[in-house]
Amino acid sequence: MLHSDIKSRPVYRALEPDLSAAGHLLVIETATLQPGGLASLADAFAPVAAKLHTWLVGEAQAVPGLGKPWHLPAVADVVDALACATRGYGIGDRLYVQGTEPFLWSVATAAAIVGFGPDQIRLCHAGSLQRRVWCTHCHGFTEPVTTNVVPCAGCGRHLLVRDHFSRRLGAFMGVMVDTEAPGEVPAIEEVFA
Amino acid sequence: MIGDTLLLQVAAVTDIAPGLRHLRLVAADGGKLPPAAAGAHVQFVLEGAARTWRNAYSLVSRPGARDAWEIIVRRVPTSRGGSAFIHEQIKVGDRLVAGWPGNLFAPVRIARHHLMIAGGIGITPFLSYLAEFGFTGAGHALHVCCREGEKDVFGPWLGNSPAVAFHWDADGHRLDIPALLASQPAGTHLYVCGPAAMNDEVMAAAAAAGWPASHVHCEHFGSALSGGDPFRAFLARSGIEVDVAEDESLLDAIERAGVAAPCLCRGGACGVCVTPLLEGEAEHRDHFLSAEERAAGRLIMPCVSRARAGRLVLDL
Ligand code: FES
Repeated sequence: MLHSDIKSRPVYRALEPDLSAAGHLLVIETATLQPGGLASLADAFAPVAAKLHTWLVGEAQAVPGLGKPWHLPAVADVVDALACATRGYGIGDRLYVQGTEPFLWSVATAAAIVGFGPDQIRLCHAGSLQRRVWCTHCHGFTEPVTTNVVPCAGCGRHLLVRDHFSRRLGAFMGVMVDTEAPGEVPAIEEVFA
Repeated sequence: MIGDTLLLQVAAVTDIAPGLRHLRLVAADGGKLPPAAAGAHVQFVLEGAARTWRNAYSLVSRPGARDAWEIIVRRVPTSRGGSAFIHEQIKVGDRLVAGWPGNLFAPVRIARHHLMIAGGIGITPFLSYLAEFGFTGAGHALHVCCREGEKDVFGPWLGNSPAVAFHWDADGHRLDIPALLASQPAGTHLYVCGPAAMNDEVMAAAAAAGWPASHVHCEHFGSALSGGDPFRAFLARSGIEVDVAEDESLLDAIERAGVAAPCLCRGGACGVCVTPLLEGEAEHRDHFLSAEERAAGRLIMPCVSRARAGRLVLDL
């Protein structure tokens, strides 16, 4: 029941620049970087270095080749920066994001609000499998979730974390696990470490 | 009005400029027409004395209008004779058979901004777009490339909209397509409708400026594409041989022979007319088949494509 074959799950791929694009914005959740990860991204983006902006979110030592990187403390700052951009983004621009799924979709959703279409955004999953969970009962979010069952941060119900993913919410569906037999909660296991 | 086709009656004929004729059409039974959305086209059966044409025209009437449909037809001096028939023969009170509206060029309603580029009579689908955007308030801009003398012809549809700009072939008045496409905000969708060379130029400029292909939409005119050297086609299933004249399409010739062939856009765009090609080499002029399908040589779009040399054998 947990790992159903949900076809609508997003597919993530290693980032590479779209050479036809007019401008490139690379946003990285640094906590998810493997050793040498930044250097290999710098290699991949070398062909477009002149038109590249890099935002490093979290602690990081910048490496050469990523343009002039900009350091941001947290994903909320990325969302604010996109929303308040004084220079509008163009139809020829591309956004590349690397990090955990909640990070990817927070950034992608903020970018969509300022006009980025799905074909202008490329996402690459890195780091933990932790999920953001949306409660079908109270519509609240719980995050980060690494277990199969989690108490909802909004209403306290025990939610079964399903594989159904909403791109709009950037979250997985959570449904009450003990509706039929109140109190009968299955063993809680860490499955999204 | 229910059935495969609709019977229309010409309610008004107006020559809005030399070579540009406006028709207003109503249902012959006085009833309501099916509604059509912005960007829709309708295929008309034009019964000339010697032959029948089937031409598709964009509706320029207000989207959703059910009392009347309007079209604007440019007289094409060469190529197919349907437009000449409309300019010479059609009069108020005539009846015409038409198909149901189709739409291969609807605006993308999630767009933040709509950028339209029209070449000449390619403005027609955008007249219905403008009516829709005026109603919904969607942000838009229309650039029309036309002859200087024709820029006032469409005034009744355009009003004094500041979102419409005209360009013509004179210093200081040409449209700088690369500059226009380089400065568009994220969330814009681009629509182009004009002669093939202009469409190609705009599409290439959009790709060069980094536009995702999913944000670029093009409508081709079919009529100018379909003529060429005469050739012969054999319809294997019907056992009929047809001669395709230089001023008609393969599809026209098939229909003339009394064989029903499916079609929708008659401009090589929709893919409805795709037909297996059993023998012969096609000159592909459509925008539907992939490069691999063309190379394989097993399919042809009879609404626009012809024989490269010799005879074609179709599975029809
Ligand atoms: S009728 Fe549409 S492609 Fe031929």
